[in-house]
Parts: sequence; C-alpha cells; structure tokens
Amino acid sequence: MNSTQALNAIGSCLALAMERGLGKNGLVFPVECKEAEDDTFQNSCQNLQQIFAQMNESYRFAEALANGELKTEVSRSNIFAMPLKALQASLRHLTWQTNQVADGDLSQQVDFLGEFSLSFNRMIKSLRDKKSLEQRLKTITDVLGEGVYLVDTEGRLIFANPEAERLLGYSFQEMTGEMVLHVIHKQYADGTFFPPEGTQLGTAIRTGQAYNSDDCVFACKSGRLMPVSLACRPVITGGKLEGTVIAFHDITEQKKYQESLQTINALLEKQASTDTLTGIYNRLKFSKLLAMEISRARRYQSSMAIIMFDIDKFKEINDAYGHQAGDSVLIDMARVVNANVRTTDIFARWGGEEFMVIAPSCTLDQGVQFAEMLRFRVAQTTFSVPRKVTASFGVSVFRSNDTELSLTNRADNALYRAKGNGRNRVEAEDAEAFYHQAGASRPPTS
Amino acid sequence: MKNVYNFSWEDLGNLAEGRPNLGGETSVAIYRLMQFTFKDVLSKELGREKTCELFVKAGLLAGREFCRNVLNPDLPFDEFIADLKAKLIDLKVGVLRVEQADMESLNFVLTVSEDLDCSGLPIFGETVCDYDEGFIAGILKEYTGKDFTAKEVDCWAIGDRTCRFEVKPVEA
Ligand SMILES: [Zn+2]
Repeated sequence: MNSTQALNAIGSCLALAMERGLGKNGLVFPVECKEAEDDTFQNSCQNLQQIFAQMNESYRFAEALANGELKTEVSRSNIFAMPLKALQASLRHLTWQTNQVADGDLSQQVDFLGEFSLSFNRMIKSLRDKKSLEQRLKTITDVLGEGVYLVDTEGRLIFANPEAERLLGYSFQEMTGEMVLHVIHKQYADGTFFPPEGTQLGTAIRTGQAYNSDDCVFACKSGRLMPVSLACRPVITGGKLEGTVIAFHDITEQKKYQESLQTINALLEKQASTDTLTGIYNRLKFSKLLAMEISRARRYQSSMAIIMFDIDKFKEINDAYGHQAGDSVLIDMARVVNANVRTTDIFARWGGEEFMVIAPSCTLDQGVQFAEMLRFRVAQTTFSVPRKVTASFGVSVFRSNDTELSLTNRADNALYRAKGNGRNRVEAEDAEAFYHQAGASRPPTS
Repeated sequence: MKNVYNFSWEDLGNLAEGRPNLGGETSVAIYRLMQFTFKDVLSKELGREKTCELFVKAGLLAGREFCRNVLNPDLPFDEFIADLKAKLIDLKVGVLRVEQADMESLNFVLTVSEDLDCSGLPIFGETVCDYDEGFIAGILKEYTGKDFTAKEVDCWAIGDRTCRFEVKPVEA
C-alpha cells in the first residue's frame, strides 16, 4: 500500500467517524502497518495507530466519567486522557467532600476547582449558617425553662429539649420516633383514660391547629400525672404542615395554690354566712336564702312557711347564771332545733335569742304543726342551766305579693302574740287581719 | 565540625530579619534546581535506590517538624485536614485533596495537584515525589503517633495530571 492509498483510507475512516460518531468499536485504524511501503511510512503508521488507540481509550474513559464511574483506570501514556484524569481526581475528591458533609463535617473547602468550588463552598457556608442558627435555637430551648417537643404530622417525636427530658423523665433517645402522645398523654387528670376518638391536643397535631390548655396532665416516666400548661403550634413550611411544637411546663404548684385559694374562699364564705356562736346560718345568710326561697315559691307557686321563735325569759337566764350559761343555752337550742328540722329546711339565728326556720312546701297548718313539734322537743330538752327552758313560736306563710319584710313581720307579730298568750306556745299569723288589711286572696290552709 | 547534624526548626532562621527586602518566598525553579541537583549528585555517590530512600527519610523528618511547628495536632481529624489543606495552599506547596479516608484502618488516598516537586515536569516514566511521600507519612505519624508509608501511585512525571498517594499504616 502506498502513502496516497493509506491517506485515503484514513481520510474515509475519519469522515465516517465525523458523520456517525465513534460507535461501539471506536476508530479502527484502516492500514496494516506491515504492508507500508517503507520504514519511515511504517513508523508514521504505527504512531497514527497508537493515536487512534489512545483516542478510543480516552473516549471510553470520558464515557465512564460521564456515567459517574470514578474507578476506571486508563493507561499512563495516553496523552488525551490526561485532563480527564485530572477531572477524575477532582470528582473523586468532591465525592469524598460530599460524604464528609453528609457525616457532619463542615470544616472542608474545595480549592481551585472553578465552579465546583464556588457551589460547594457556597453550600458549606449555608450549612454552617444553618448549623449556627440551629445551635442558637438549641441554646434558647436549653435555657428556656419550658419543656419543648417537636413532633411530625403523625405525632412522632423529632426533638425534645433538656427541660422536657427533665420534667417527664424520658430521655430524647428513648422517645425518638415514638408516638409521644400515646406515651405521655392518654389520661384525664383523674386518671381515667381518654375515649378512642382521642383528645383536642391529638386533633390539633393531626390538623395543624394551634391549641392551648391549662387543664391537661402528662404522664411522667415515674407514672406520676403532672398537671401542665401547654401551648401547641403547627410548624408550616412552604404552606405545608411539617409538624407541631408542643411547649409545656409543670403547673403542680399553681394547681395547689388554686386549690388552697378555693379552700380559703370556701372557708371565708362559710365564716361570712355562719353564726360564730351556734354554727348555724347568721341573719345575713338567712336574708339571702329567704330571698331565693321567696322567688322560688313565687315561680313555682308553691307554699312556704316561716317559723320565728324566741327563748322565753332569756334575760333572766343571763342575769341568773351569767352570759356564758346564756351562750350555752343558745348553743343547745340551736343543736336541738337543728336535729329536728328537715334537710330542706333553712335554720338560722336571727339575732339575740331569736331564731328563724324556713320550711319550704309547708302550708300554714303544716308550719304550725312543725313549730309545735319543735316547741315540744325544746320543752323536753334538759339544758345546761338548772331550770326549764322553753321557747315561743310565731308562724307565717308565703303569699304571692310578700316581701321578706312582710313575711317575717307577720311571723314576728304571731310570735309577739305567743309571748302575750303565756309563752311556750305556737301562734299562727292573724290571717283575717292580713286579708282585711291587704285585700289579698286567702292562702291554702289544708 | 561535628560529624552529625540534628535539624531544629529554629535553624530555618529569622527570615524577616535576614531577608527584609526579598521576603520569605523563592521560585519553584530554584527549589527544584536544588532538589534535582542533590538527586544527581547523591545518586552518583550512593546509587538511585539509596538516594530515593534518603529523600523519603528527609521528607518524613520535614513532615513531622512541619506538623509540630505549623499545624495543630490537637484538632479533630476533619479540622486537621482542613487546616493542612489551607496551610499547604498558603505556603504554595500544593493543592492537597482527599479521595478516601478510612479512619478505622487508617488507609488514605490523597492527591496533590500543582505539586512543588513534580507538576509540569516532562514525562520521565517514573514517579519523582519521594520527598512528598516522606512528608505526608511524617505529618500523619506526628498526628496519629503511628508509622505510615505513603506510596506515590500516580505522578505528573509518569503522565498523570495530579500526584496520587496511597497511605497506609506500617504493619506492626
Ligand atoms: Zn509527583
């Protein structure tokens, strides 16, 4: 083969490659070197053949790199592959760097790799910024004095701060990925379990609603139910619900304080409404209860009797045996009567040695019978003074246009007559006088 | 004259005082001129193999001293490598890149581009970065307390664009 023939063969081989690409077999050198006409030409053919082989090899090497295969080797003498080897080294290095970042190493920089460096170093910077922001947030939640949980949309725990660990006794490790509410929030304060449909907090987490409560309890690892004040807020990123933050603190002390306040208030209320000597209602409380009973009787058109009574010759007892003896007579009187009134009746000290009984649902006759029973019991009782103690009773009955005053006045008048008629007796209100005076309708007297 | 010289970092002298105008830097050609002429003379006196061995030894001493005096061996590995890379660039030694680092077996694959010793050399057909091999092993010995061998598997001087070193701990 002469040089012209060889050049033509090489030319058409290259033309085909430029038209169709290298294909599966690459460039095939079209000249048999041994058949070249002289040694110089044979030498040139061999060099060209080697160049063809190097181009084929570097093409395959480049293809491997393009596919991300970084372990492919290429022969040292291949001059076309040299920059590709540098590229391969750069890519291997970037792979390592990326793995480092994935493992949390943010101390690396990529140097002198053009746009790779720019992008990588920008990523590192932004991750460092994010990390320092996270660190700041972590420091904040660490010192917050408020337990903080972060849960995903299904309620699985993603984050717990040290205060949350301290309050409930569960470490973050043992709770990670747990459905946190299933562990800590399954009971009411009294220990009964929630119904299967769950709770408002559970619903808030599922639906991404804000929720606040001062009435929840969380179960500690120790089993204790801790009353907590909690605030829950959805975490929404790009319009999508990502999870919920639950912040809570222990309100055991506040609850105790509230309870003691309630106890004190109840005590104060009792004191304000109780006669200190006898322990029964005082006049102030009596007035309030009478007003309520009047409006009730008026609304339901029910009857109601009022019994006013007074210890006979109490001044003589005081004068003869002293005030202490008088006080013990008052105490005994309250005890005897209290033991004989119905639970629905209201018994109070009206003042001095005067007492009042409200007997709901009683007609005048029933009220009189009731008063008579009380008079009898009192007369039967042995008091702590060496003499017989009796009481006089006046009875009135509610009428639709009565006021507290008119009702008690009529009982007072009846009592006055009982005193006048010899004491230790019961007198009913003077019905005729009342009707005459007020022109009201006659009360039921059955 | 003493028979033996012991290197100490202070022997590098006070460059600020000694070179107020020319400063602490010189040209890579001059550095290579010194290295290759040493290689020439020593190989003729001691043979090629012995010369290489001595270059590795000197590099090892240099690496240890460099680690002790320029780097901070107390840093965690990731930060130590980041610092080493930055220092080698600052001092214009080369661009060190890690391709693999197995912290359990202490096997590393490192590359150095724009290497002081070899980048841009004609293709000799054999690796030339003997001093670098020692230097890398020396730094790691100082950092970990273990003996290492660094073998240059790719070198500019054998047709690669970057020098690649495989570093392994010496089997006890
Ligand atoms: Zn090299």
